[in-house]
Amino acid sequence: MLESILSILITGAMISALYALIAIGFTMIFGVGGVLNLAHGALIMAGAYVFMALNREIVASSIALPQVVVFPLAVAIVAGLSYGLYVGLVRYVEDNPVITFLATVVLATAVTEIAIGIFGDQPYSYTVISGNVEVAGTAVSSNDLAGFVLSWIAIGLLWYYVTETDGGRSILAASMSERGARLTGVDLRAVQTRTWLIAGALAGVAGIFLGGGQAATPLMWLNPLALAFIIVVIGGIGSIKGSIVAAYLIGYTETLTVTTLGQGFRGILSLLILLVVLFLLPQGLYGREFVHD
Amino acid sequence: MTEELPPLGRLRSTVQRSILAPSGQAVARALAPIDRALQPAANGFNRLLGSYVGEVTGLQLGLLVASLLALVAAPAWAPLLAGNYMRTLTLACIWAIFAMGWDVQSGYTGYISFGHSALSAAAGYATALLVVRVSPELGFAVTIPLSILAALAFGLLIGLPSLRLSGPYFSLVTFVAVLLFYRLTIGFSETLGGENGFQAVEVFTWDFTMRYYYMLVPMLGVAAALTVVARSNVGMVLVAIRENESAVSAAGLDPTKFKLWSFALSSITMGIGGVLLAHFGGTVDPSTFVVVDRSIEMIAMAVVGGMSSVLGPIGGAFLFVLLRDEVLRLWFGHSTRWIVLWVLVLLVLVFARDGLFRWGWHALGSVGGDRE
Repeated sequence: MLESILSILITGAMISALYALIAIGFTMIFGVGGVLNLAHGALIMAGAYVFMALNREIVASSIALPQVVVFPLAVAIVAGLSYGLYVGLVRYVEDNPVITFLATVVLATAVTEIAIGIFGDQPYSYTVISGNVEVAGTAVSSNDLAGFVLSWIAIGLLWYYVTETDGGRSILAASMSERGARLTGVDLRAVQTRTWLIAGALAGVAGIFLGGGQAATPLMWLNPLALAFIIVVIGGIGSIKGSIVAAYLIGYTETLTVTTLGQGFRGILSLLILLVVLFLLPQGLYGREFVHD
Repeated sequence: MTEELPPLGRLRSTVQRSILAPSGQAVARALAPIDRALQPAANGFNRLLGSYVGEVTGLQLGLLVASLLALVAAPAWAPLLAGNYMRTLTLACIWAIFAMGWDVQSGYTGYISFGHSALSAAAGYATALLVVRVSPELGFAVTIPLSILAALAFGLLIGLPSLRLSGPYFSLVTFVAVLLFYRLTIGFSETLGGENGFQAVEVFTWDFTMRYYYMLVPMLGVAAALTVVARSNVGMVLVAIRENESAVSAAGLDPTKFKLWSFALSSITMGIGGVLLAHFGGTVDPSTFVVVDRSIEMIAMAVVGGMSSVLGPIGGAFLFVLLRDEVLRLWFGHSTRWIVLWVLVLLVLVFARDGLFRWGWHALGSVGGDRE
């Protein structure tokens, strides 16, 4: 009994760490630009596919790039794609929230078809780090453990950046009040750029480990996006702290559901929690009211 | 948000000034005589029905009558084209109902729902469950009204809690409703049929022509009913909610009540569409009814055609389905057609936000200048 509780605690922590990465990127973009980026899931999928392609498709096995190079390269590419998404599409439509919604979701759907076109509709499995590690009596795949560790490193760096440096603090300022930030001399265009790059990088890291844990599939954007939704709404749209707390809440709920009720019920309980939270706390745990100006 | 005009905006205005405007004027000059010739008929139409469905000009009436005739006469001309156009047009009628159903709620009030496929799924699954679990002998007269009621009930179930929320929160919850529905069909696969759904629903008919009319007539009926609603005071209040909700409540009207009405109206429409889709192919399964892609498709149709109108979603649905199932399939093959289609939708979203058909309709209406 004690062992199974411990194993739920450990497995849940692994998956929750990735959920937190996904949700933080999503919520930062909303906080700063007021943009609900429904193509965020597509960036996660891009992370998995770019890593997989760099790892095994382009480079022949004899001159295989070491993982140490491929990983940051893939993350950088996804960050670039995220920035490209902002410059190429979102900037032209962000004045109208409805059109932004639709444009990003249509883009995500198009990306699915592109992934099917290039890689086929079969799942591609790959590994970031192979093998298993034993943590407190529970077997954990090295992939998940690395994801967990990197997630916390990334969150720690982000925390330091946002609270201790001028560049990061201007992001925080812009997310609190755009007008106030502009009045105090914050360059909003630069803030947007940094936000989209950071969100893209976080999505890239999450995508690589999600794909490594399960497999890269053309529809893998949908579940992370839905999770990001649920987590962000529970934590409060725009709040990084809320995202982390809610990510762990949802991660543990899912692990618990899967171990006690079975794989078929994955997600149902989280959705119910979401509905309850919306009823009791419409703005989420740490959120603020949606005002669009 | 926009301090300086982005380069794309400059390009757009140059194209507007040097290409679109002059050619538009040339077309307008050519069409003006036709407009004048049709004006007496339009005047008669306006006297008779104008107060219910809105006034039209000669050209607009001409276009309406021509497209109506083309739709009714489709069995005569569609088989001449290469491809399975009768089936495609039939499907387009159903999707037009979905697009109108989405639009009467989201397009008019501005509360963007990602969950409308769940409403049609409620109707489809109600039909299937009645036939499979209750009795196969029930007959259309029982199952169809019950299924539409099921869609309405489900719509209110989603609408009552979610309409308390606004902006992105509303959209997120409706999105979640679809996911929840999908998860439930998998989680309770013994009752709800799981991934494969139900195959036992009776189809209206396999005859291509008759089946087309079975879908076309309800579609036109829904269109007429929704036009009357949209032109009534209720339609105006809904648009006012989209523009400024607090102004509506300041005027002494309860926005929540009107939003619920629009959601109920939308649910009934989605229910009609869902029942038709169930009896179109005889199968009710998650990938035909529930998955998020279906919601996104109906949104795309309504937006491409033109939100907050009735003709827009219909035109958008026909354009979308014809492109998807016939034109692009012919040109690009199975998988690439989707990419092309979504890119086209994206272009419309960025460059013609008001939708193609709504824009065309108003352009036609402005031929011949102001009257009186």
